[in-house]
Amino acid sequence: MRLQIATFLSCLSILAFVGCDRMPGKPKEATPVVIGSTAWTQSTFNTNCRGCHSQGAEGAAIPLIDAGYWKVATDAQVIQVIAQGQGVLMPSYLDSNGGPMSSDQIAEFVKGMRTLWGAGVSGGQGGISGTVVAGNASAGSQVFASACASCHAAGGSAGSVTDPMYLKLISNQGLWSAIVYGRAALGSPAWNQPMPQHPNGLTPTEVADVVSWIAQSRPMSSANAQVKSIPKDKNASDSK
Amino acid sequence: MNREALIQIVKQPVQWIEDRTGVIAFSTPLLSHHVPRSAKWWYVFGSATLMFFTIQIVTGVCLGTMYAPSASNAWESLRYIDEEIPLGWMLRALHGWSSSAMVVMMAIHMLQVFMHGSFKFPRELNWITGVFLLLTVLALAFTGQVMRWDQDAYWGLGIGAAIVDRVPVFGDQMRALMLGGPIIGGETLNRFFALHVFILPGAAIGLVGVHMTLIMKNGISEMPKPGEIVVPSTYRKGFEERMEKSGVPFFPDAAQRDMVFCGVCLILLVFLAAYYGPFGPGGMPDPTLINTNPRPDYPFMWIFGAVSLLPPASETAIMLISPVVGIAILVAVPFLSNSGERAPSRRPGMMLLAVFVVMAIVALTWEGVTSPWSPVMDGWSALPTPTQFVKGRTPLQMQGAVVFQYAQCRNCHELGGFGGKRGPALDEIATRMSPDQIVRQVQQGGGNMPAFGKNLNSAQMTAIVGFLSTLRPANEADSTIPGAQLPLPIKSPLVLESPFTGTGVPAEISAGVSSR
Repeated sequence: MRLQIATFLSCLSILAFVGCDRMPGKPKEATPVVIGSTAWTQSTFNTNCRGCHSQGAEGAAIPLIDAGYWKVATDAQVIQVIAQGQGVLMPSYLDSNGGPMSSDQIAEFVKGMRTLWGAGVSGGQGGISGTVVAGNASAGSQVFASACASCHAAGGSAGSVTDPMYLKLISNQGLWSAIVYGRAALGSPAWNQPMPQHPNGLTPTEVADVVSWIAQSRPMSSANAQVKSIPKDKNASDSK
Repeated sequence: MNREALIQIVKQPVQWIEDRTGVIAFSTPLLSHHVPRSAKWWYVFGSATLMFFTIQIVTGVCLGTMYAPSASNAWESLRYIDEEIPLGWMLRALHGWSSSAMVVMMAIHMLQVFMHGSFKFPRELNWITGVFLLLTVLALAFTGQVMRWDQDAYWGLGIGAAIVDRVPVFGDQMRALMLGGPIIGGETLNRFFALHVFILPGAAIGLVGVHMTLIMKNGISEMPKPGEIVVPSTYRKGFEERMEKSGVPFFPDAAQRDMVFCGVCLILLVFLAAYYGPFGPGGMPDPTLINTNPRPDYPFMWIFGAVSLLPPASETAIMLISPVVGIAILVAVPFLSNSGERAPSRRPGMMLLAVFVVMAIVALTWEGVTSPWSPVMDGWSALPTPTQFVKGRTPLQMQGAVVFQYAQCRNCHELGGFGGKRGPALDEIATRMSPDQIVRQVQQGGGNMPAFGKNLNSAQMTAIVGFLSTLRPANEADSTIPGAQLPLPIKSPLVLESPFTGTGVPAEISAGVSSR
């Protein structure tokens, strides 16, 4: 009798095992990545952008996982920055410039990012341009003194923004973006938010003026800092 | 039909076969031979190893009916077995896990034999055939890894070929013999396929036969007792007498323990295979994909770890000499000491040696698991600077954090636990190095780090050093140079002589350390 029960149970367990091809160890079939899908956008961002442009208080450059950014920046501006690079430290991602993405992919990518983090807002709605606007430097001097100097003058508590070394690394567009977006999570207010000594925030004209004034402290006179990171090989470019 | 008639129907053909072959007369003494009564649970590991070997043969033959041993189809055929064949993935999982289990079980068996001194007279050849079985099984495991024909296989072969290539005088020929040509290609896979399915299993089956015959000839050793000394001239007589008097038949007394243990092992094996699935195949075997992290299978991880630790100057000597010496020592074990005490308590030095070897292998395995194959190639663009390192920084220091990503420092250095492991983690670098020392290290490199002086201009250098000088716990002082005038004057502009821009550039290092 015991033998029969044991035989029955073993047969049953063997049958159950053979019938089941859905154990945790079964390798998952690889799903092809569709360009433009959410998964693709997310993984492209995580591999290529997140190192500098993250969210909240994380990362050293402007966060892109942030609805405030997508309210100001238009798709065309973001595409331009990704394709052509920006200032000294943002590289170009366009394949014809040696980057990893085609122009179509960049367009799809920006569209995907807006769906993920700027859902419901289109760019250009922030009351200020996303790209730098030329201003009046002498008027900017006044703005700086009243709105910025208490924290950002040389030796200020939040660190100098007229330091030539800083200005060599950041373009006027970079200054513009730093003021416009701020870093709320790090305690830096955006352009129209109240500042410690300046309760009303700035107007778009004041932002333009102060950027022009700060840029004057840059050791090189060009509007954008163009510091080459690696000296170009003269012979290589001549031989083309 | 009554019972007696039924028995007759079964009995007649059996008797006919027995009459022609003598198989029962041959196998009865094998099953009923006496083994020591003291041979209890310590003695099950060899049987378990044999069981895993049998599973390897059965699953291996099944896989052999579906696997395509050609460089262009191997990887695809594994995907096919995994995804298209019903329970094909299970077959591969059983083959893979059983392979690892066999190596582990073999190591435990060997350790037990060593610790109990069972290799002493008259069982020296049992040990030596065991050593060659171990080598054969390891060779099977390595060639089996090559069968997967993925990145791990490719780079595993690459390392193997590089080691063989270093053999003096014959290196080139040996490498050509191993790879079937100057590079890893289709010929290589065919060679390793022939080894894995014909030559090595054949050798293993032959060695198992010799090993078993020797066990029958010399008997299973008793549990060691302190004071029971092995004396070659009298051992056999005493052993046979004791077996006559107090031994128990192998079947069923000892065999039932083997069966229980093998059953438990089998259940564990099926669980591991069902839960964790087959090994690989990993990425395509494409040497142009550099963002890869190949690892050998676990039996070789300790070798990988050891090789990763070797100082470059000693690599060739150690890699070529140590395997020869190691195998020679293993073979020599029963000749170095084939009589005397067997009890572990009377052989403390040998016990320490065994513990040391096991610990070394475990530690080196861990090193192998964690040692970096290459920098984290997308670390600079994928790993954000953690919050604690951007909070409260000045604009210049923030740009320094961007430069830190931009110059790909993160590919080799960790921040907040994420990043490459080629260089030290930099979370607390400011407690170890002063700004001047950081400038020197970044500009000139050294200690396995390339020089970045040519790739960073003065502004980038100032910013990155400013950023790095803030990396320290809030409650710890930053690095100071013994004997230097302290504290460094804040805000006094320091002139960095930059040979790369050709001009002395005023670099406000003070901006970097103003948080002091």
